[in-house]
Amino acid sequence: MNDGDQSTNLLEAIGGAPPAESANIVEVTDIHKFFGHNEVLKGVSMTVKQREVVVVCGPSGSGKTTFIRCVNHLEKIQSGSVKVNGHLIGYREENGKLVSDKERNIAHQRREIGMVFQRFNLFPHKTALGNIIEAPIQVRGTSEDEAIEMGRKLLARVGLAHKEDAYPAQLSGGQQQRVAIARALAMRPAVMLFDEPTSALDPEMIGEVLEVMKELAREGMTMIVVSHEMGFAREVADRVVMMDEGLIIEEGTPEVFFTNPQQERTKSFLSKIL
Amino acid sequence: MLVVLALTVAGCSSTKSTYHYQWNLFFQSIFSPDGQILGGLWLTVIISIIAQVIGVILGVFAALGKMSKVLPIRWFANIYIWFFRGTPLVVQLMFFFFGLSVAKIYTWPDLTLGPLTIDGPIQAGIFALGLNEGAYMAEIVRAGILAVDPGQMEAARALGMTPGKAMRRIVLPQAARVIIPPLGNEFNNMLKTTSLLFVLSVVELYETFNIKQGQFFAPFEFFLAAAVWYLLLTTIWGVIQSWIERRLARGTPGAQAAGPSLTARLIGLRNNSGNQAR
Ligand SMILES: Nc1ncnc2c1ncn2[C@@H]1O[C@H](COP(=O)(O)OP(=O)(O)OP(=O)(O)O)[C@@H](O)[C@H]1O
Ligand SMILES: [Mg+2]
Repeated sequence: MNDGDQSTNLLEAIGGAPPAESANIVEVTDIHKFFGHNEVLKGVSMTVKQREVVVVCGPSGSGKTTFIRCVNHLEKIQSGSVKVNGHLIGYREENGKLVSDKERNIAHQRREIGMVFQRFNLFPHKTALGNIIEAPIQVRGTSEDEAIEMGRKLLARVGLAHKEDAYPAQLSGGQQQRVAIARALAMRPAVMLFDEPTSALDPEMIGEVLEVMKELAREGMTMIVVSHEMGFAREVADRVVMMDEGLIIEEGTPEVFFTNPQQERTKSFLSKIL
Repeated sequence: MLVVLALTVAGCSSTKSTYHYQWNLFFQSIFSPDGQILGGLWLTVIISIIAQVIGVILGVFAALGKMSKVLPIRWFANIYIWFFRGTPLVVQLMFFFFGLSVAKIYTWPDLTLGPLTIDGPIQAGIFALGLNEGAYMAEIVRAGILAVDPGQMEAARALGMTPGKAMRRIVLPQAARVIIPPLGNEFNNMLKTTSLLFVLSVVELYETFNIKQGQFFAPFEFFLAAAVWYLLLTTIWGVIQSWIERRLARGTPGAQAAGPSLTARLIGLRNNSGNQAR
């Protein structure tokens, strides 16, 4: 992914790549997650280096969404730890023990983690531009002028300069998802998480969203992408990870993963989606 | 009301009535109201507005309290709502004014704000009406918040907003769309409910006419005139409410179709406002 000279369109709009404070942007260590008695994540670990793009796939119910939500602590974990850019997420270390952090601190930590949802979750009462500038102004304390300038640049870079005053309901799914990506980027995150960003879209709109994501990957954004878009994975992923029943059962470079999977379950899964 | 009118008219024509109608008193009260009537009208409107504002604010807090993760806060909110929805407003009014003042817990001294002096009964009345209204608003606000897609809260939090900020900036503005139509109905009720303040001898619109009918012994004319004034208030409010709702539906595309029409609202709204028995 390190095409140093590639145009830095999207990241340029937010003032360049966000500073990395740690070589491993994401460090997930042996996390366990229960919903009631149902253990949904059974000890998942993952390390993502700066500029790395990891694609996560796996059958429905295998815990992909839950995993990605644990990374920014939208779900509490019962054991293990998550570090993003060197900081523990959701927990503090006190005398060698992990204790739950305050909401305010967790909110602070989430500024480093961009998230794009399957169903966009744009704010319907705000325009496209309003969606993008909301968090920089409210959370980062960016001045309104500065936020608007950045917001307009971002909108232009995702091909929606002409839609800044449109409300989400006036945009197509593909356009909404591009605004959602711009909204997450506006916080200058160290990592971007995507949970099946194209699976709620009509087929003809998938391409435009994937294009933006590929561009982002080429520019060196660190990304974890839950997706079954194998073309995307082949093109930009450094690693593909297979989850099944709450565990990572296989991972590898796209070449190896797609051409020579080791696990039976991976083979049968791939045969279904390819 | 029309039924009563029809019955009265029918009654008059069949039997020789001894009641001497003074229609001039009625028409005067409507077309050239004196200072007392205008004063009562003003007091009704201003008390309604202040009590409703207090009610909305308390309602938001009570709704948030009810949904809080902290158990004692939930208890507190539930007890508040339970008490004010479970007791008659008259009892609340009497308790907060006479109860507190006679027991010397709080004697409701006059409050002077610049040129304006608000006497104790009015303060107590606003206080009780506001608290009472807050308990009803709590359910309305809660329903509004629950109607907002939970994904909105998540998206806001994923962007680094604290839960409080996400609630204020993202969830409540969207809940407002759901809250405003029933809030309008609440205010319609409030305009009429203020008449109960007569128990504290607050001379608002109803009590003004009550005093007048006693002076002239013309209950028919004056209470009819009072009804007309209340109708005027609620009708004007109905028009404003429709206008607000139409604007609201326009400002945010994707909103569900505007609420009931003005006529439907004026005629049919008490059926679904659900809390007329206070
Ligand atoms: N909030 C919740 N409460 C209870 N169980 C849940 C909750 N969210 C997810 N689960 C359960 O956890 C398991 C993993 O769900 P998850 O959504 O992470 O799977 P997924 O891999 O993202 O599936 P899909 O491909 O369908 O999106 C499922 O069995 C699901 O039923
Ligand atoms: Mg999922």
